Amino acid sequence: MIPAQFDYQAPATLEEAVSLLASDLDGAKILAGGHSLIPAMKLRLAQPQLLVDIGRIKSLAYIREEGDEILIGATTTHYQLESSDLLQRICPLLPDCAKSIGDVQVRNKGTIGGSLAHADPAADWPAAVLALGAELVLVGPKAERTVKAEDFFVDLFTTDLQPGEILREIRIKKPSGRFGQSYQKAPHPASGFAVVGIAVHLGLNDDGSCKAAAIGVTGVDVKAYRAKGVEAALSGTTIDDDAIAQASLHVCDGVDPNSDLYASSEYRGQLARVHMRRAIQAAKAKAQ
Amino acid sequence: MKLEGIHQLDAPRERVYQCLVDPEVLQRCIPGCERLEKTGDNTFAATIRAGVGSIKGVFNGTARLEDLREPEHLRIVVDSKGAPGFLKGSGDLDLEHAENGTKVNYSGDVQVGGTIASVGQRMIQGTAKMMATQFFTSLNAEAGTQAGEPPPQHGFFRTALRWFSGWLRNIFRKH
Amino acid sequence: MTNNYVGKRVKRTEDPRLIRGLAHYVDDVALPGTLHVTFVRSIYAHAKITGIDTSAALSTPGVVAVYTGQDVAGKIGPVPCASALPELKVPDHRVLATDKVYFVGHPIAAIVATDRYAARDAVDLVMVDYEELPVVTDVEQAANGGPVIHEAFGDNIAYKLTSGEGDIDAAFTAADRTVKQRILHNRLAPIAMEPRGVLARYFPGEEELTIWSSTQIPHLMRTQVALMIGIPENKLRVITPEVGGGFGSKLNVYSEEALLGWIAMQLGKPVKWIETRRENMQATIHGRGQVGDIEVGFKNDGTLTGLRYSVFADLGAYHQLLTPAIPTLTGLMLSGAYKIPAIQMNITGCFTNKMATDAYRGAGRPEATYVVERALDLVAAELGVDPAEVRRKNFPSPDEFPFHTATGLDYDSGDYETALNKAQEIIGYAQLREEQKKARDEGRLIGIGVSTYVEICALGPSQAMPAGGWESATVRIEPTGKVTVLTGASPHGQGQETSFAQIVADELGVNINDVTVIHGDTGVVQYGIGTFGSRATAVGGTAVFVAVQKLKEKAQKIAAHMLKADASHILFEGGKYSLQAAAAASATGVSEPVVPVGQAPAGALPEPETDGKSNLTIQDIALAAHLAKDLPPDTEPGLSATYFFEPKNFTFPFGTHIAVVEVDHETGDIKFLRYVAVDDCGRVINPMLVDGQVHGGIVQSIGQAMYEEVVYDEQGQLVTGTLMDYAVPRAKHIPNFELDRTETPSPVNPLGVKGVGEAGTIGATPAIVGAIVDALAPFGVRHLDMPVKPENVWRIINGN
Ligand SMILES: Cc1cc2nc3c(=O)[nH]c(=O)nc-3n(C[C@H](O)[C@H](O)[C@H](O)COP(=O)(O)OP(=O)(O)OC[C@H]3O[C@@H](n4cnc5c(N)ncnc54)[C@H](O)[C@@H]3O)c2cc1C
Repeated sequence: MIPAQFDYQAPATLEEAVSLLASDLDGAKILAGGHSLIPAMKLRLAQPQLLVDIGRIKSLAYIREEGDEILIGATTTHYQLESSDLLQRICPLLPDCAKSIGDVQVRNKGTIGGSLAHADPAADWPAAVLALGAELVLVGPKAERTVKAEDFFVDLFTTDLQPGEILREIRIKKPSGRFGQSYQKAPHPASGFAVVGIAVHLGLNDDGSCKAAAIGVTGVDVKAYRAKGVEAALSGTTIDDDAIAQASLHVCDGVDPNSDLYASSEYRGQLARVHMRRAIQAAKAKAQ
Repeated sequence: MKLEGIHQLDAPRERVYQCLVDPEVLQRCIPGCERLEKTGDNTFAATIRAGVGSIKGVFNGTARLEDLREPEHLRIVVDSKGAPGFLKGSGDLDLEHAENGTKVNYSGDVQVGGTIASVGQRMIQGTAKMMATQFFTSLNAEAGTQAGEPPPQHGFFRTALRWFSGWLRNIFRKH
Repeated sequence: MTNNYVGKRVKRTEDPRLIRGLAHYVDDVALPGTLHVTFVRSIYAHAKITGIDTSAALSTPGVVAVYTGQDVAGKIGPVPCASALPELKVPDHRVLATDKVYFVGHPIAAIVATDRYAARDAVDLVMVDYEELPVVTDVEQAANGGPVIHEAFGDNIAYKLTSGEGDIDAAFTAADRTVKQRILHNRLAPIAMEPRGVLARYFPGEEELTIWSSTQIPHLMRTQVALMIGIPENKLRVITPEVGGGFGSKLNVYSEEALLGWIAMQLGKPVKWIETRRENMQATIHGRGQVGDIEVGFKNDGTLTGLRYSVFADLGAYHQLLTPAIPTLTGLMLSGAYKIPAIQMNITGCFTNKMATDAYRGAGRPEATYVVERALDLVAAELGVDPAEVRRKNFPSPDEFPFHTATGLDYDSGDYETALNKAQEIIGYAQLREEQKKARDEGRLIGIGVSTYVEICALGPSQAMPAGGWESATVRIEPTGKVTVLTGASPHGQGQETSFAQIVADELGVNINDVTVIHGDTGVVQYGIGTFGSRATAVGGTAVFVAVQKLKEKAQKIAAHMLKADASHILFEGGKYSLQAAAAASATGVSEPVVPVGQAPAGALPEPETDGKSNLTIQDIALAAHLAKDLPPDTEPGLSATYFFEPKNFTFPFGTHIAVVEVDHETGDIKFLRYVAVDDCGRVINPMLVDGQVHGGIVQSIGQAMYEEVVYDEQGQLVTGTLMDYAVPRAKHIPNFELDRTETPSPVNPLGVKGVGEAGTIGATPAIVGAIVDALAPFGVRHLDMPVKPENVWRIINGN
């Protein structure tokens, strides 16, 4: 419960942070909310030489509209997202997802950027950003680049972030037209992390049929993924109970669900199907 | 923990087998393997920097190849220790001819102890799965070259890994 | 005018400091120059130690010393086990492993360094060479030819014990039918909010050792540690500052306590060790851990004829203080709330490669209540009658008390049916059953679980206890009139600083804020036994109560003297001594001021003021008693009384818990719809404290029933090693509790109190599991093992 020795820097700007990180590609780590990194350090499973604390860079925490996009700074906390009136109005999936994370203390400290960069297979945010087709802005020592959420999650705790890169911003197209969203989660009773988490964005045609569905799934595989099978099966249907039930069966297509002490692979698959159905139903119910 | 899986490789069985018993190739394929030194007939001393994301640990130990039946079977026995705990186990690899290459069936038993056992419960299976995928992805790339050719580049692994883990079906169960 | 604190919801005087973070736990005690201790612990469950290399650790900057098992061999005695069972095998339990390790977390070496960081760094530098040995974690495998843990014993069976009364064979012959069930009691981690912690300081000049420890038993620990490290007991002082919960896990004497004391003596510097949560999971005792077969014989009308329970108790690798005794408590309570003519319990206590089990809230009794209540549900199912009715049928009636059980106990008092009726009334039982039927027809899975429990509290008569079952109290009124209570009990969350003050304030007619309850310091408090087994109020509170009576007797004598009247004519009311009206007239010299003569020197205390007539406050008496200028003949100065209370029997609280749950047939999730508990803990001193105890107990029961389980894998690795995997219930897992009470005073003590610390963990588990099983009855289910996880439920619903 006592971490190994490390150095600590709290840069005032993102540029400084990038260059500090570049100074020790192997040993330096970004510290955001610290609610994933510090537990690992206390167990000495992570022993970074240098922590670059981006939590004090004020300009990195924001939620704003710009054109047809919603921009979210990487160090925006779960609580800030949970309590944003703007998001509640224009993209309720985000607050919905945020409030399901951990407990108040965790939400007050943990950040969306930290969660995405950490890529815990049971974290909630990855499902939401996948469902919203988000783009992630990464800055490195040389350049800035934008990655689609779908390409960002590479494997267990592994993202497309290259050594030296910092996730700066999350960009989401403002949902438009008729749509409904929902996040449904089966939390682990001990950790609160998602045994299964389903984020649904449902776009509807004027006649109420499904225009397009975008669905992110977390907790089920080694990384969060888009449930393409469900999306396809739903598209064009009238989203009646039968269509929803049928589509939900595809949630684990191409995936062998994780198994652990709490939930076997088989049961996790069942949870995924049930929560998928419930999430789609809830999203439909919310669509005006 | 029991591990099981099937991986489909593109190279012919003989070539895959060669790679599997070549310490240099193995060192390149085992994720995080920094050292693999021959210490005797089919026995090796190894240092592996294993980890996922920010979680890392260095393991030192031995690896032994057993029950060698070229080109269809071998067993790998590992025993290693590091600050995060210990890791040991054995795995049987069975190589079968397949239409466009080789089908590798593996089944093994892995034990972990220490910190990783007591705090990483929900992660152990996923980690094993990921490392197996990485191993076979690299192995596939290695086997795709001819013996004596320069080994494939690391950058290629990453790209390969992405598509590989995308479609590769992995039958992986905890018993 | 008399105060009326007893029976009121007086707010806890402990809370302001706790809530504001102003309380002092062991880790808050900061002594200059303190060194910090960390432990190297085994990562194997069973292995030979073939070598320990401490040189790298020793050469780390900041490291002062490293001690291994060899270093302390012969210098520190074994970790004590206080249970005396016939032919019990007691392994030599050293404070540090010497040649072998027996469980993951087994301490191997202690590192002392100038700060916690260096001490922790050095842990990774101690190289231990292990030679692995075969591991046994399953208790039945341990009993039946599994790898032997303590070679000298030849097998893993620590003891076998058969207990009970009545002709068990005849009882089963007389039965029309029998039910049988294998039942598992999941191993639990007590998870006190504050882990253990020890600080030790030695003054070589005075030859005095002080140990601050987060324990429930400062006095017993002092005796044991003095013996272990060979310091005279009167040179050892044990202080328990604030203790952040124990639940039995600190009713123990641990290696670390003796070792820290010894190290402080070696180094002449204060040394501190604060347990981490991971150590807490690995190396603080666990609870429960039994697997047994229950068999009950009964008549077609539901009358019970006999009960047999054969159980394997998973003791772990070593005996801690009470390890082997816990399953015997299960044996004592196997009659539950019922008349059962013959009962037999067969225990096989086994060593396994795990941490020791010991007392965890309920300590053996939850196991008994659980098997008996589960069995009663099986009887009801077998007969097709309502589970509440089978229970009612077998209750002893109130006039049958004291009620003798076939387990050899005499229940003090009880009225079980009234509690059951009340609970049924509150929940609307008959209507609830109707609603359940309707819901079932609609495809909803609703279940109702009933538990009518009895528990054994107020541990206990010394005859039945390994180290004395009495409790002590001193009540003292200081010269300024403030009241100090010294109790041998060691409250650590229960709130006895408040409830004891309530008792004393009422008895002395003083303001509750003028009463301070001191505990947990062997340098200040007379010897005591401690807080566990729901004993503190029934035994310790009684000691306080009797001590106050003694004090009042003395005060009365002094008052009479001061009022120049016969003691029998003095009335004490509302904190004042006065002449009874009739007596006042006949008393002589009442008009003379009864102030002791003589001029007080400067700086002396004010003279007691009487109103010159017939009134003296207890504070006046106290001052007079301290000034001692004019006391009745043969009266000692001072106003203080001490009493050691020895109870004649245990007490037997009881009650009815009813849980209503709904099961989600797709996910197996379990949701509480209602929870009603009617508890009878005898006379209630503070209803709020009682409610708090019941709440906490039920929460821990919910934990056992639905979430918690210490899991070791086949290799003996503890895979539920953190709170990320070991699920203690959170607020969101808890329903609203509807609590009520009946009050049947205990004849065992003058307060009439019984105890309530463990009622919740004893009464609730069977109600919860009963409700879940009832919800799944349409699938033919009659029993489910704990923790009942959603996946298990889902599998049942889906027939796999
Ligand atoms: C008790 C508890 C319960 C929790 N429950 C949940 C839950 O239910 N659901 C859930 O999703 N999560 C849960 N979490 C995790 C929590 O949400 C974390 O806050 C989050 O996963 C990580 O965010 P952080 O800001 O704390 O990141 P940190 O811990 O500071 O960092 C995590 C990792 O990401 C890297 N990193 C951080 N920010 C950046 C960046 N901008 N660019 C590049 N790299 C970066 C760090 O270097 C580090 O490797 C829980 C955590 C705790 C302690």
